[in-house]
Amino acid sequence: MHAGPEDGELVAMTLGGNAEAFATLVERYDRAVYHLCYRTLHNVEEARDATQEAFFKAYRSLRTFKQGAKFSTWIFAIAYHACCDRLNRNKRYSNEEMPDRADPGPGPEREAIALDEARRLRAAIDALPEKYRTVITLYHLQGKQYEEIAEVLGLPMGTVKTHLFRAKEQLRKLLSAAEVLE
Amino acid sequence: MKYDNDDALDRALFALPLEEPPGDLRAAILTATVYRPAPLFKPWEIAVLGGVAAVATWLIALVVLGGAPLFVHSLEAIGSTSEDLLSNYSTLAWIAAGGAVAIWLSIFTGFQPSARGVDAHRR
Repeated sequence: MHAGPEDGELVAMTLGGNAEAFATLVERYDRAVYHLCYRTLHNVEEARDATQEAFFKAYRSLRTFKQGAKFSTWIFAIAYHACCDRLNRNKRYSNEEMPDRADPGPGPEREAIALDEARRLRAAIDALPEKYRTVITLYHLQGKQYEEIAEVLGLPMGTVKTHLFRAKEQLRKLLSAAEVLE
Repeated sequence: MKYDNDDALDRALFALPLEEPPGDLRAAILTATVYRPAPLFKPWEIAVLGGVAAVATWLIALVVLGGAPLFVHSLEAIGSTSEDLLSNYSTLAWIAAGGAVAIWLSIFTGFQPSARGVDAHRR
């Protein structure tokens, strides 16, 4: 919950010519959108560009934002589409294979030994296939709101739940493996 | 830490801090959107200015090449053609229809994410 006007009101104010209102929306969501882009793209520069592109597209099509809809879901959907475009453009997208990491560090297992809990969890998330990683990232960002995750990804809710179940299962396996190595 | 059940994993996930964005990201977004410097001319102003410049060039060329009588004759021709056009209801109706279609199309040019999803994701 945010202090101050609701997102919908800020959208209306922006459409009314209030630049500060859009700045407030950017302030509220830039970090979360960047997080989603970074977790999807695994590259600081690309995540930065995708985040910027998402807000630019949102700003340009603010008139199409439906009153009563959730701004966070809308901006995440735009950001996710921007990320998918980039992944497709770079021909790095594959459901079967792990995506290439642009900034590879040590492998998840070795990294887990050395790093703290949060970093260990991050490393495990990074090691998930892209479709599971995105679902887990959105689950983290949107809470347990499957419907909104489904809306962002454009997938049926059942698929989202299945992806999430498998993602958690894989996460647990990865984390246990890391623990054994410790 | 053990993640034997969903609750433990959920707690860990929700406690995970978000990635720190680059320091200049917010400024870059704002510069590209609300604080973007307004262009000197709007597209329709550029179109009007271009039209005016073209007509002016044509008139100057007429004066230079043909002298005053041809210029006056051309102005009369333009005047009478315009008068004919604007007094013809059928022409006015077509102009109005064209304008309405242009406005209607301009409403649908923005980006709108849909629930269709990304085909690649489904593959």
